[in-house]
Amino acid sequence: MSLRLKLLLLGLLTLLLPWGGCRYARQMEDALREGERNSLQAVAQTIASSLQGRTDLLYREGKEHAPPSPDTQDNTDDHPAPAEAAPSPYDLPPIRLGAPPFLDGYSDEWPRTPGTWRYFTRDKHRFGILAGVYERMLYVLLDVEDDHWVFDAPGANPLDASTTGDRVWAGILDPTGTERQYFFSAPGPGAITARRIEQGEYGQSLAVDEPRMVGAWQPTAKGYQLEFQVPLSMIGRRFGVLIDDRDQRGATAVSYGTLYSDDLHTVGRLIVSAPELTGYLAQFMQPGLRLSVTTSSGRLLAQVDALAQVAVQGPQRGILASFYRRFVDRPGDRKRIVSDAPIYDRDHHNVIGNLTATETADRWSRLRDRALTQMLNFTLITSALAFIAMFAFSAWLALRLSRLRRASESALTREGLITTFPETNAPDELGDVARGFSTLLGRLNEYTGYLRTLAGKLAHEIRTPLTIVRSSLENLESEKGVPSGARIYLERARQGSDRLNAILIAMGAATRVEEAISNAERSRFDLVPLLASAADAYRIAFAERRFATELPQETVMIDGAPDLIVQMLDKLIDNAVDFSPSGATIILRLTLDPSVAVLEVDNPGPPIAPEAQGRLFESLWQSRREGGGENDNRPHFGLGLYIVRLIAEFHGGTAAAESLPGNVGARFTVRLARQ
Amino acid sequence: MKRQVAIVEDEPAIRDNYAAAFTREGYQVRAYANRKQAMAAFATRLPDLAVIDISLEEEPEGGFELCRQLRALSAELPIIFLTARDSELDAVSGLRLGADDFLTKDLSLAHLIARVNALFRRVDALRKPLEASQVIRRGPLMLDGERMQVEWEGQVVLLSLTEFWIVHALARNPGHVKNRQQLMDAANVVLDDNTITSHVKRIRRKFQSIDPTFDAVQTVYGMGYRWVE
Repeated sequence: MSLRLKLLLLGLLTLLLPWGGCRYARQMEDALREGERNSLQAVAQTIASSLQGRTDLLYREGKEHAPPSPDTQDNTDDHPAPAEAAPSPYDLPPIRLGAPPFLDGYSDEWPRTPGTWRYFTRDKHRFGILAGVYERMLYVLLDVEDDHWVFDAPGANPLDASTTGDRVWAGILDPTGTERQYFFSAPGPGAITARRIEQGEYGQSLAVDEPRMVGAWQPTAKGYQLEFQVPLSMIGRRFGVLIDDRDQRGATAVSYGTLYSDDLHTVGRLIVSAPELTGYLAQFMQPGLRLSVTTSSGRLLAQVDALAQVAVQGPQRGILASFYRRFVDRPGDRKRIVSDAPIYDRDHHNVIGNLTATETADRWSRLRDRALTQMLNFTLITSALAFIAMFAFSAWLALRLSRLRRASESALTREGLITTFPETNAPDELGDVARGFSTLLGRLNEYTGYLRTLAGKLAHEIRTPLTIVRSSLENLESEKGVPSGARIYLERARQGSDRLNAILIAMGAATRVEEAISNAERSRFDLVPLLASAADAYRIAFAERRFATELPQETVMIDGAPDLIVQMLDKLIDNAVDFSPSGATIILRLTLDPSVAVLEVDNPGPPIAPEAQGRLFESLWQSRREGGGENDNRPHFGLGLYIVRLIAEFHGGTAAAESLPGNVGARFTVRLARQ
Repeated sequence: MKRQVAIVEDEPAIRDNYAAAFTREGYQVRAYANRKQAMAAFATRLPDLAVIDISLEEEPEGGFELCRQLRALSAELPIIFLTARDSELDAVSGLRLGADDFLTKDLSLAHLIARVNALFRRVDALRKPLEASQVIRRGPLMLDGERMQVEWEGQVVLLSLTEFWIVHALARNPGHVKNRQQLMDAANVVLDDNTITSHVKRIRRKFQSIDPTFDAVQTVYGMGYRWVE
């Protein structure tokens, strides 16, 4: 993994910042929500305690008890009024209607929710009642099972007992606490208006139409249905119905329902709140809040709802904010907060209802969003800046390092002084490394320089003792009286010293060539005849190799020292002969570029080893294998190709080596500047 | 009377070996370790021939200085430089100072003595009238084998002994290519290619100083040299 990549990965750590920000925001929101929940609970409890004992609001009960009337007073003992909050089977809990039902006697518009019907039976008689409230109107649907339904006689006086058919009574305890009764007597299917019985001017009973209570009567398969409406303003605390079922006109009725059948007093309450309750609740309203009051059994009495209202006015939440929301909001988060508080009766004994306050969790979201957006923007920008900075830094570092690497590589391959090493002025650790490298390379350079001159120095130093040995041996040979047996040793010693001398000459070769180059005189000459004549010489010198020449027809003038060129050629051919098998053909080729004469020497044999590539032409470099050449008894100091390079460079050219295609041999190429 | 050879050499073992060899050859040898000793002796009596090392004890170039002083004392005295140094610059300097030959110490004793003998022969020959039999004439070239003297267009070319032998080997058979080994053998030296090349170069330059159009010594690349008439 590159340094750049590593630093970038490290840079990713700065993403912990926004992550931490998200965590923090989440916790802040939890705390905020908890606070909101607490305050909502407080609100709910405040409102609930303000409603304590307010049965007038909750259940339409008068604040003062109903004025004692002889009838009700009498019946108090017989028919004890149910406790204020205690549920009674005769209570009628109306459902909330989404729209007013069309009063036609059919149940089509009514919600078909099971369990909302109340059924009352007596013997085999049975009726179901369903009540609903829409705005300020109570709607009642009665489904009476009656196998013999009987209409009133048409045109007859409804108060005439002999002509009465089936009859439905509705009993109301009105807001003033007065019991009132109304009845429906149908002369046939269709619209119907309730009537009440009043004392006439002369004490006679009159059946007076009550226009506010209208409905419709329709027969069904099992009996009939009656649908009617009553304005809630007419109804106080209690409401009930009684069915008088007669099998024929004037017969004794079987009465059952939620009224006392003897005096038609109401027993059950109408579980519906006073209209003022809604107004009362409305004063606590805020946008994003919903308050609802339910009975202790959970039936909804009143509700004000502003949940849909946006808490804070302003533009929609921004894209960025909603994007951040996705990271902060937990999937389980509830969008609403609900608080319940019980409403007690006056004595604080019984629960008469429940107040539920619901608040959208987003009430304060705009504020939160802004804080969150700012924080996340800040951390993200910080991260991005850190990331970019790290990227730039790593790129810069990588650049410096690669510059250092290139410099160190090239400093090694090119001999000569390393004049400028990059980064050595940098004050940081990289600068230290560069300085270290520079020093090291300087020393290495000194060392290579020392090695390069070592051969010459050594040759010089050895020459004196060698001269002593040789001159002594020669003197010894000239001495008379040397036993002939000792002559053979003398001869061997002389041969050894000769070889030592040859070694000395070889060791000094590079120095002498350098010297020769520095003293060389340039002249313009034609390379082609020189090569041709040299090739002829090699044919004689190396009889067991064949030499092929590929030379151009034209003259190739170069500016230089022909002696040196020949010497260079000698080294190249020496090398080619050393590495090629006996009988091999060595090709001497000269091709022309516009400004360069390209001299190539190809020899079959082993290819150039990869590790030798580029180093072959260095001083003292040797990749010669053991027993590589057959006439390889001459000393080698890795100077031959170094001399080639020196001479090539003297002629403004370069020397290179490569393997022949297919690794069947080696090719040495010398490029010389043409004039 | 025995000819007197002076050896100025700071290395005692070499000095003694050379002295022994020259003594065996019948020369009288006077050996000195440094320039001071040598000059002190030369002031009273000049030797017949001097073999001088370039670096002498404390003086790295003491031999050159000695050569200059010796040449000042006598123009004809044969002087041979014998040195462990084989730098071409040294050779040029030495020969410019008027040395008759410049030799490296890897030269064998036999070759050294051959040179000394040759130089004495030349000294003798210069005192005698010209012997036509020893003279080779090739156009403007007159080469006297006895006196080891070369003339080009009637002017004397001052060649060192080695250079004379190279010219001699080439001019004796004009047109024949002599390779470096042959030239070395002729000059009684063991040299490497570069030294032969520089000798040839010097030879050309010396002829060219008389005749700038001189082109008689030709290089046959890869093989050697030949004399062209």
